[in-house]
Amino acid sequence: MNGNIWVLTSADSVAIATTLILAALGALFTERAGVLNLGIEGILLTSAISSFLVADSSGSIWLGLIVGSLVGALLAGIHAVLSVVLRANQIVAGLALVIFGTGLANFLGKPAEGKTVTTLIKPLSFGPLSDIPFVGPIVFRQDPITYASIVIAVLASLYLFRSRPGLELRATGDDPATVDAQGLSVASIRLRYTLFGGLLVGLGGSWLMLAQSAAWHQAATTNGVGWIALALVVFAGWRPIRLIFGAILFGFTLQLPFTLQAEQITFIPSALMQMLPYLATLIALIALSRPSTRSKLGAPKSLGIPFVRDER
Amino acid sequence: MRSPIRIVFEQRNETAKHLSVLVPLLSVVAALVAGALFLLATGYSPIETYSNMLSDGFTSSRGMTDTLGLSTVLICTGISAAFAFQMNLYNIGGEGQLYLGMIGGAWAGLALGDQLPTFVMIPVVLLVGSLAGASWILLPAFVRSRLGTSEIVTTLLLTYIAASLVKHFVYTPGSFFVTKNSAFPQGRLVPDSASLSGIGDTSLYPTFFLVILIALALFWVVKKTEYGYRIQVISDSPRAAHYAGINANRTTMSVMLISGALSGLGGAVLIVGPFGRLDPGIILLGYGYAGIVIAALARNNFSAIIVSGILFAGLRSGGDKLQISTDTPIHIGVMLQGAILLFALGGEAFRRYHIHAVRTERATQ
Repeated sequence: MNGNIWVLTSADSVAIATTLILAALGALFTERAGVLNLGIEGILLTSAISSFLVADSSGSIWLGLIVGSLVGALLAGIHAVLSVVLRANQIVAGLALVIFGTGLANFLGKPAEGKTVTTLIKPLSFGPLSDIPFVGPIVFRQDPITYASIVIAVLASLYLFRSRPGLELRATGDDPATVDAQGLSVASIRLRYTLFGGLLVGLGGSWLMLAQSAAWHQAATTNGVGWIALALVVFAGWRPIRLIFGAILFGFTLQLPFTLQAEQITFIPSALMQMLPYLATLIALIALSRPSTRSKLGAPKSLGIPFVRDER
Repeated sequence: MRSPIRIVFEQRNETAKHLSVLVPLLSVVAALVAGALFLLATGYSPIETYSNMLSDGFTSSRGMTDTLGLSTVLICTGISAAFAFQMNLYNIGGEGQLYLGMIGGAWAGLALGDQLPTFVMIPVVLLVGSLAGASWILLPAFVRSRLGTSEIVTTLLLTYIAASLVKHFVYTPGSFFVTKNSAFPQGRLVPDSASLSGIGDTSLYPTFFLVILIALALFWVVKKTEYGYRIQVISDSPRAAHYAGINANRTTMSVMLISGALSGLGGAVLIVGPFGRLDPGIILLGYGYAGIVIAALARNNFSAIIVSGILFAGLRSGGDKLQISTDTPIHIGVMLQGAILLFALGGEAFRRYHIHAVRTERATQ
């Protein structure tokens, strides 16, 4: 029964959601501070290949994960300097990061072409729990980073809505002038959370490489997951808990084309099935932007606007 | 907490003319220097890499015509991006609109090519490609102007959908676009009536001059016409536009559709020119994304885009040949593209602000 294709698909949807949760959480922290980082796709790719190269040469997947995450923070640092310190156009800066990151990742990935990671991040086993019908494969047969990503999302929710620094973070995204009047540095808060966001995105990219992909397929390694993550933040209304469910939902649309192909269900051509995740994201975005729902979503009010103190 | 010295950004009242030229130039130089350091660190020779790129991209006669040929499509995607960007509409799906332009152009060429003469077919292919490109932005433009849905993510998601569409049309057995009974799936060449030949056996096609003309025409439209004035007012102050009775929704729609059509034109240019067929290889080339960089570096100025488009074409075409001439990965070209834009964005701060350090005591009261 646990070999049933739909149980396996659901289990894989939860697994693939890991990258979405981590990347979207990274974007969420960044955006909550008022910085819009569209460079997620470029960061994912560069951290993915970095983690591959490190894991391949050192033989340690954990070292790969750490270096991949740090590379994510480093690239986000470029965005932070441009948008927070130099007040550049954040939209263009993010796009520049995507192009730079894609080129950099493909450059670094040259020696990795045709290789595979020998040891992958393995799912944990909880003994008899993992064999419970339906629930076992979906809940009790995931890898440690998948569990960690959900724990991080729950902690992020507590941090955002139940702690003093979380309050300051939200205030920085909504009303930076007030935060500044409190004697806190808006620039420093924005820099810190942009870097932290990059770290999470980097972890997501590294996990994608070391647990899912195993081989370097250039830009197809991430295949637009970074953009889906950005849409997911809107979908979740900038709330971490909703983001978990959204990620699993979008994870399902990413997984479904493969399942249908494996089952040889071909009434829809497979190339068209590949559109599903992007189409689903597109529809969700449009549906959410009806004027009646938009105000309830809770986008940070100063998102993407550089903070300039009124000097009197 | 606070450091004794503070950096102050003082808005320049009037932007110095020389800085508008100097900042983009210096960002190109800075990116090349950073790229050289990166090449050194990864064990490649920057001198060899750059001199090969320079000769393959610019100084050799073959390199120059290749560059101008490639710049044709890059100027299309550049003016496409700039046309939307100037109204703060971020159409970043030029890549997908370009694919549609290829699909539309190839369809027109294959369906009508045997019945019509060349002087009719070329405009028809270019027009159908442009319309197909515009159709791909119709939904984002509609929901942006009616519901306020951000066009950034919607146009981008449609690029991935367009890529699947290209694959579907090429890899589906018996598809209209492919050669019948071929050993491996391959796009069908459009008939001779729908294709141009390169000038003097080079990869430079007459479409280059058409695209230059369009860029110059857009420069004039934006600077001199009432339509261009409307775009300027809306982007400077949506409220002023509202009080002046300007219909912002309609202008948003038209600007985005024109932007999509220009990227579509880029795809159709590939059909009448170097490709001649629907080719899934386009998905890896990123010509649409390059347009974003080209527009941003030219600060959405349509005549400057001609220059930055040719510059980037040289960078790409020189970079693409690296694999043959040296062992440096060709992706250095794309990487430098991104790096130039990152430096240009940083440099913007120095153009817009007079930046200087002051002691804190004087700065706060």
